[in-house]
Amino acid sequence: MPTNAAGTILTSYKHIAATGTVKSESLESAVYQIPRKRKTRSDSAAVNLMSGNSISSPKKLKSHRPSSVSNPRISVKEVMEDSNEILINPVNLAVKKLSDCLGSKSIWNPRDEEQMRVVKEALHVSKAPSTIVCREDEQSRIFEFVKGCIDQQKAGSLYICGCPGTGKSLTMEKVVQRVGDWSTQAGLPPVDTLSVNCTSLTKTTDIFSKILLEIKPGKKANTNSSPLQHLQNLFSQKQESSSSRMMLIIADEMDYLITRDRGVLYDLFMLTTLPFSRCILIGVANAIDLADRFLPKLKSLSCKPMVITFRAYSNHQILRILQERVMVLSYVAFQPKALELCARKVAAASGDMRKALCVCRSALEILEIEVRRSAGPESQGPTPDDSMVRMDHMAAALSKTFKSPVVETIQSLPQHQQIIICAATKDFRGSKKDATVGELNKLYLEICKSWMISPAGITEFTNMCTVLNDQGILKVGQARGDKLKRVSLRVDESDITFALQEIRIFRNCLV
Amino acid sequence: MASSPSSKAKTFKSPTKTPTKMYRKSYLSPSSTSLTPPQTPETLTPLRRSSRHVSRKINLENDPIDLPERESIEEINLIRKPRKRTNDIVVAEKSKKKKIDPEVSFSPVSPIRSETKKTKKKKRVYYNKVEFDETEFEIGDDVYVKRTEDANPDEEEEEDPEIEDCQICFKSHTNTIMIECDDCLGGFHLNCLKPPLKEVPEGDWICQFCEVKKSGQTLVVVPKPPEGKKLARTMKEKLLSSDLWAARIEKLWKEVDDGVYWIRARWYMIPEETVLGRQRHNLKRELYLTNDFADIEMECVLRHCFVKCPKEFSKASNDGDDVFLCEYEYDVHWGSFKRVAELADGDEDSDQEWNGRKEEEIDYSDEEIEFDDEESVRGVSKSKRGGANSRKGRFFGLEKVGMKRIPEHVRCHKQSELEKAKATLLLATRPKSLPCRSKEMEEITAFIKGSISDDQCLGRCMYIHGVPGTGKTISVLSVMKNLKAEVEAGSVSPYCFVEINGLKLASPENIYSVIFEGLSGHRVGWKKALQSLNERFAEGKKIGKENEKPCILLTDELDVLVTRNQSVLYNILDWPTKPNSKLVVLGIANTMDLPEKLLPRISSRMGIQRLCFGPYNHRQLQEIISTRLEGINAFEKTAIEFASRKVAAISGDARRALEICRRAAEVADYRLKKSNISAKSQLVIMADVEVAIQEMFQAPHIQVMKSVSKLSRIFLTAMVHELYKTGMAETSFDRVATTVSSICLTNGEAFPGWDILLKIGCDLGECRIVLCEPGEKHRLQKLQLNFPSDDVAFALKDNKDLPWLANYL
Repeated sequence: MPTNAAGTILTSYKHIAATGTVKSESLESAVYQIPRKRKTRSDSAAVNLMSGNSISSPKKLKSHRPSSVSNPRISVKEVMEDSNEILINPVNLAVKKLSDCLGSKSIWNPRDEEQMRVVKEALHVSKAPSTIVCREDEQSRIFEFVKGCIDQQKAGSLYICGCPGTGKSLTMEKVVQRVGDWSTQAGLPPVDTLSVNCTSLTKTTDIFSKILLEIKPGKKANTNSSPLQHLQNLFSQKQESSSSRMMLIIADEMDYLITRDRGVLYDLFMLTTLPFSRCILIGVANAIDLADRFLPKLKSLSCKPMVITFRAYSNHQILRILQERVMVLSYVAFQPKALELCARKVAAASGDMRKALCVCRSALEILEIEVRRSAGPESQGPTPDDSMVRMDHMAAALSKTFKSPVVETIQSLPQHQQIIICAATKDFRGSKKDATVGELNKLYLEICKSWMISPAGITEFTNMCTVLNDQGILKVGQARGDKLKRVSLRVDESDITFALQEIRIFRNCLV
Repeated sequence: MASSPSSKAKTFKSPTKTPTKMYRKSYLSPSSTSLTPPQTPETLTPLRRSSRHVSRKINLENDPIDLPERESIEEINLIRKPRKRTNDIVVAEKSKKKKIDPEVSFSPVSPIRSETKKTKKKKRVYYNKVEFDETEFEIGDDVYVKRTEDANPDEEEEEDPEIEDCQICFKSHTNTIMIECDDCLGGFHLNCLKPPLKEVPEGDWICQFCEVKKSGQTLVVVPKPPEGKKLARTMKEKLLSSDLWAARIEKLWKEVDDGVYWIRARWYMIPEETVLGRQRHNLKRELYLTNDFADIEMECVLRHCFVKCPKEFSKASNDGDDVFLCEYEYDVHWGSFKRVAELADGDEDSDQEWNGRKEEEIDYSDEEIEFDDEESVRGVSKSKRGGANSRKGRFFGLEKVGMKRIPEHVRCHKQSELEKAKATLLLATRPKSLPCRSKEMEEITAFIKGSISDDQCLGRCMYIHGVPGTGKTISVLSVMKNLKAEVEAGSVSPYCFVEINGLKLASPENIYSVIFEGLSGHRVGWKKALQSLNERFAEGKKIGKENEKPCILLTDELDVLVTRNQSVLYNILDWPTKPNSKLVVLGIANTMDLPEKLLPRISSRMGIQRLCFGPYNHRQLQEIISTRLEGINAFEKTAIEFASRKVAAISGDARRALEICRRAAEVADYRLKKSNISAKSQLVIMADVEVAIQEMFQAPHIQVMKSVSKLSRIFLTAMVHELYKTGMAETSFDRVATTVSSICLTNGEAFPGWDILLKIGCDLGECRIVLCEPGEKHRLQKLQLNFPSDDVAFALKDNKDLPWLANYL
């Protein structure tokens, strides 16, 4: 059970209220309850409170393992103190903060398996952090939207887009939790919540039956009308008071619902426009213009969903999130500089948080291997200097991730395949961009002849082209005959020249 | 009584449904019309709803021998010594058998011979069939086995009711119809029910107690048996509450010393005894065949039961109460499931094969036929070999498949070095060690161990890529084998391992059902499987009763799973990022840049763990071949080096290097046999490798062109000549024809004529040596050589019939 999660969420909640983005009666009343509530929660007796909560989305099981947060009370407090300062000057303060911690926290020993495990766990993708930093704004916007809809008892739709690994699904989980807390405190009827990952649907239209099941649990769908028709009927007629509960539908990876005629997606959004609809639809996907591109009709019906974009993380943000995760630990595992390096590099490449976490983990593993190796010859205890992940470890992990392996790949290729690449490079020097397999074979035979190497046959040659295609060096197109397939290079010419320089015969050939 | 969750009833009913109904229609209609039943002979026997009992009684009447057999059950435990049949029974038996199987021929195995052997001590005598307490037990039969450690054996022996008591009145009338509840398998008299039923209802029927339980009430008033009367249980009930065991007889023998009969039993297990516990999909009468064996005394065997495969089970509604279903084999050490349907099919064939022999044996089975090391006893060699195996070791698997005797001439032949080399170089031969991949294997081991060694398994994935023939799959498999050994040693916590080859799936979505079957031992459609897997991995629900073990999923040929919207890959790679999933995914594919080709959201979930298997260089290939050939002196060192250098220059594919060496060995073998002189060295030399390489790398088209007909040769020559003259790849048919005619004229050949020439052109076009313009065949048709002109010239050059062709090439 999420024992300390709710407490920390409320913390960030308070912060929002304090900065004045939100002014609402019910909200303030919620704020006043915070301290008391948190206290009860930090004694582990608070589990009862949570279980009384009527909203039980399955995602909520994404819980916090008690062992991972070694010192919850301290960390929460720190975050509290931090949250206001960091907004002013995030990076500098965070770095300072971390360096302040260095003295206070105990020394981390990478040789201790238990400690290593805790660090790895804290950095794992599946572990949801207790607070979501850097997404407060988006989170409160979504929350406000949902709250507004529930307050006015009207349907609405929202579309959330953003690159992979920018915390969309995570934010949605937190919003669901917040909505649940808020509705119980405000004394409103609990909100039905349905979180669907659209990839796990076997058929796109299954989403309607799922919605129907959520509205009327236990009742089997009518055989003579499809779930969609049933829903449409339900929402277009005036309902009795019993069904006045709102419903929150979260469709993750929404673009999997796109069918050829876009019927499912369209129907789904149209559900929110029906007169007595109580759906709050939130779609999550990567494409920024999904609604514009696929559902132009919605605009004319003036039910176009509001769009909230999750931008890729900047290097400051990645750094802050990483620090947040590391801060939970009771010891210092990473040099602050190393984390910054990781953040900068990942932000420059993609801004994908998952990638940043993976890099950190692989840096940890590099350190682990190093420690284990050094443990053999010299058995004395580690000096405090080498007991954390340093810049060089991080740099090694980063180069493992982002370095293009093209040069090494080309150098390790069999000789005849190198000759093919060489022939292609020579051929494509000018304005020519591609050639057929037959033409390339001719060039290859020429080179072989000039070096007095017995060439491989034509079938063997086509095989080698396929292998090079698999390795991503050549691109072999589709054609009816083997010889008519078009071949083009997929790597830069300079890379090939550089890689083949080492070998004498190629040098002469390519110069 | 087995615990009975409400939802099981439906699943239980389904396989037996149709036969039961059919039966009822034909059989029950008379009794349902006459409401006072006792007079009709059918209703004298208690009728259970599944009608197993009734039908058996009918069967018994047809087969009078079986009836005493049932009665003698009680005696089994009292009478310790098996009674030998008197001779006249044997005769009767013989004549009966003859009636049934008139075509069985009896080959006399002299009893005298066997009696002389009886003097030897410490012998076991093996049988295919034994008569024990007047019940025949055969190898492959399923039996109930008494638990020997039972506390109060008296009670066990007291009664073994043939007809179970009614659950309400606790009497076993024989003149009222009894109905079986589909949920608790309890029997009820029709007129004991409230309200009493007049006839057996159609479809599913659930007793009143189960119905109340189902509706959610906990207070169920189950009638208590009257004081002093113990609730007698049938063997089926005892088995399902694990007070009895069921086993399959694998072997039957008698210790000659003390004359005690033994059987080797292969246990069945009820679902409750497996790791997963009883699952929703388990039928009431489902059993699992285990790989657990035990030798037990014949006295513990109570009587026959009938364990059937699903197909037979659905037909077997008339076979009495002791019918069970077995669909899966259960590995007791690993807790994994395997479907046995295929195995059973194989068995049937072999059964029929030696059925005749069995019959023969029976006639003498009351004498102790003993088998010595001589192989002269024809009919029973199978059972004898089984015995030898059981003494030596554990070849149970082989025994099942049915071993064939190795012919004499093969056995006496001593393998030469070359033959040994050929055998070890076969691709199917598993190498003892994997050289040159230790670094990669270490990395995989570290990855897996790092993921599963903690009690809290963190899901991750790893992508392994490399060109074909670089040992990707075999490396992963050998790592898993090592890990398995470590699990047995106890240094690594247990896990479950699911291996899938993408190319073996009927469709990418089927991977869900394969994974689910590997995890739970139950086969469902992929939609259902996806739902269950989502529940397990994404939502953290538990399938079994225990904590989930970490799961390692190896997906070979990962790129086959790329569907149009890539949802399959998304799901598989998304699960490890969920908490509590405990899933480790290893993906293998050839393409290096598969993650980049996928949607960004998938490559983001795939993580950054990559492992590249590069092509082997010639030193590595050499090492691989020499380690395979360790201890066999068949190859010259230079020959191996030559082969590996050649392969390394072109593809670096280890499979190919091995193939070349094997072929070279064959060539050498052939050469040595032909020369017929005992050459000084029986080694494969470079020339042999050269020949093999020529065969391997030289494309088949040269071979084809070398062997085409004379006119085709001239035709091809004309085409090459035309190509040289004009420098254009494409010519038309009439120009080739003109060239052919001029060539023929100058060299004194007869010109074949246009239509024949056109036909030759078409034939060559169909072999794809020449590419013809599609469409009609006519003189202006465009022609083009499909292969480089050098190849064609090379193939045509040295020809004895037409030496002048070389002038034009």
